[in-house]
Amino acid sequence: MTHKANIIVVDDEESILELIQAALSRLGYRITCAHDGRDAVKKISAEKFDLAIMDIMMPGMDGITALGEIKKIDPEIEVIMATGHGSMGTAVQSMRKGAFDYLHKPFQPSQLVSMVERALEKRKFNDITKAIFSTIKPDELPRIIIDSAMRILKADEAFLALAGRDGRLGIEVSDGLDSPGQKASRLELCARVTGRFGDDGKSVALLENPAGDKDFSGVKGIEEIKSALLLPLLEDERRTGILAINRRQKEEYFNENDIQRAKIFGSLVNLALRNANLYRQLQETQSQLIQAEKMSALGQLAGGLAHEINNPLSGILGLTQLVLENTDPAGQNFTDLKDIERAVFRCKKIITSLLSFARQEKFRTEPVNVNEALEETLTLCARQMELKLVKINRDFGGELPMVKADFQQLMQVFLNLLTNARDSMPESGSITITTRAAHMRNGRDCVNVSIADTGPGIPPEIRNRIFDPFFTTKPVGKGTGLGLSVCLGIINRHGGAITAQSGPGGGSVFTLELPV
Amino acid sequence: MKKVLVVDDEDMVRNYVRRALASRGWEVVEAVNGADALEALRTGDFAAMICDLKMPDTRGEEVIKEAAASKPGMKIIVITGSVSDVSSLIEPGIAAAGFLLKPFGIDEIRDLAEKVIGEGEMSGER
Repeated sequence: MTHKANIIVVDDEESILELIQAALSRLGYRITCAHDGRDAVKKISAEKFDLAIMDIMMPGMDGITALGEIKKIDPEIEVIMATGHGSMGTAVQSMRKGAFDYLHKPFQPSQLVSMVERALEKRKFNDITKAIFSTIKPDELPRIIIDSAMRILKADEAFLALAGRDGRLGIEVSDGLDSPGQKASRLELCARVTGRFGDDGKSVALLENPAGDKDFSGVKGIEEIKSALLLPLLEDERRTGILAINRRQKEEYFNENDIQRAKIFGSLVNLALRNANLYRQLQETQSQLIQAEKMSALGQLAGGLAHEINNPLSGILGLTQLVLENTDPAGQNFTDLKDIERAVFRCKKIITSLLSFARQEKFRTEPVNVNEALEETLTLCARQMELKLVKINRDFGGELPMVKADFQQLMQVFLNLLTNARDSMPESGSITITTRAAHMRNGRDCVNVSIADTGPGIPPEIRNRIFDPFFTTKPVGKGTGLGLSVCLGIINRHGGAITAQSGPGGGSVFTLELPV
Repeated sequence: MKKVLVVDDEDMVRNYVRRALASRGWEVVEAVNGADALEALRTGDFAAMICDLKMPDTRGEEVIKEAAASKPGMKIIVITGSVSDVSSLIEPGIAAAGFLLKPFGIDEIRDLAEKVIGEGEMSGER
């Protein structure tokens, strides 16, 4: 082992101390001796030990009392109790106080060594568990998992492959893999290993000399792998990725113990990933609440602001027009004043849009012209669309019937869909908005609105989840996962329908049916 | 009679409304707040009153209510900076002949003023 464990041996009999010291220091462990409980407690308060091997019957402070004291000082230390006359009672008592195991004297050195190894193994697992579960930032977790896997299983290479939005595996984090070629070969191996995870699809897969295995014939670069442990990562019973831990030709094959370790490690990793996910959801809920707060504050602000701004704006508009009446239309002054007049109209439009968006607490239906509601929404987000180089194509039907709707809430739905479409195309693209008169399935007259983007589209496996509250594909802090569920709620209240499809040329299409 | 009372605490608004209407032959009297307006209503007769809703001293509604009671024949045009203000007018049952949301242009106020006075009176004056 690379890390020389620090062990303290506690016994009042010098001969036993010498025996244990001899057996363990040969294996490279660092040994400290203590002659009674009080001595041990003193040394453990002064120095960090991984393991204590302690006699129970000692003068002064006995082993059971010392065990309690030691665990108070360092809860992480593992303790092996040695019982002389072997009463079961004291053994049980010591286990209850947190001892790792107990040894009956006299014992064989081999018994001692194997128990020490198991205790240190547990200690190592505890350290790793602590590292994995105390990570506050979910982003750091994959790196910690890989580092731990390398340590626990003495591997030459390890990597975490997770399924992306298209369902294909990609390497999230790796260690020991330097070239893109190596990474590609490992991914190919993972892609072909599917059948090896046992009947339930959840067991560890062990591969030995995969290059000689016909399941992997033709996969380049895997001849350097001697032994591979592949652990399935699961989320809601579905496999979402693979944790691979490999040894190369110079090393030993993974043995039965390694496989056991890998299994335990695998379940830890799955738990930790689940925790990280829950944590992320919690953060998103929080930011949603903050967002709701912001919206309400924005509403109040917009209301007050509109009043304050509309008065001077009215003055600017009126006076500008008065001066325009006495200005020669051929001159530069006329052109300038016209520009000022247009700017006022633009301000007016923005304020109106902001007000309609911010005031949305009450649900009040009125006859609404869908094209008008879309235009107002577009005014509100025109600037962002421009910034992201998103082109808007309007395919508005003429002579549409008025729908029965809450104007502000309808705008909220449109804004949400347009924002999602925009966010799906970070590198520019176009959004096509189509409105048509149509009939609903129940025969009722309606207006159909479809919003189609040229983004990557919605993968089929998540299509039925996108309207779920808190479901999001946006990065942490970017999406709340509530947008579409709010849309669905609003449209349902209108007696309408909202659906999502993939467009013929890729991209997503959201279709609304709004009853007349 | 083409006499109109403009009530608004915003100087710029009164200024352009007055000039917009004066250039069309109206006689325009200005009031800078509610008290000023009520005083003007006591001493003169107007074909129409153009009244802001939010003023520092009185709520426009009070002025309008009083004007509607004392001058039943006078037409009332409401001007305001916020739609939500208008909804408060509906409840007390005040009959405004028209309203304009700020910012409004000079043609909007001219058209509305001339419309609410009615064709008959207008042609007589011209």
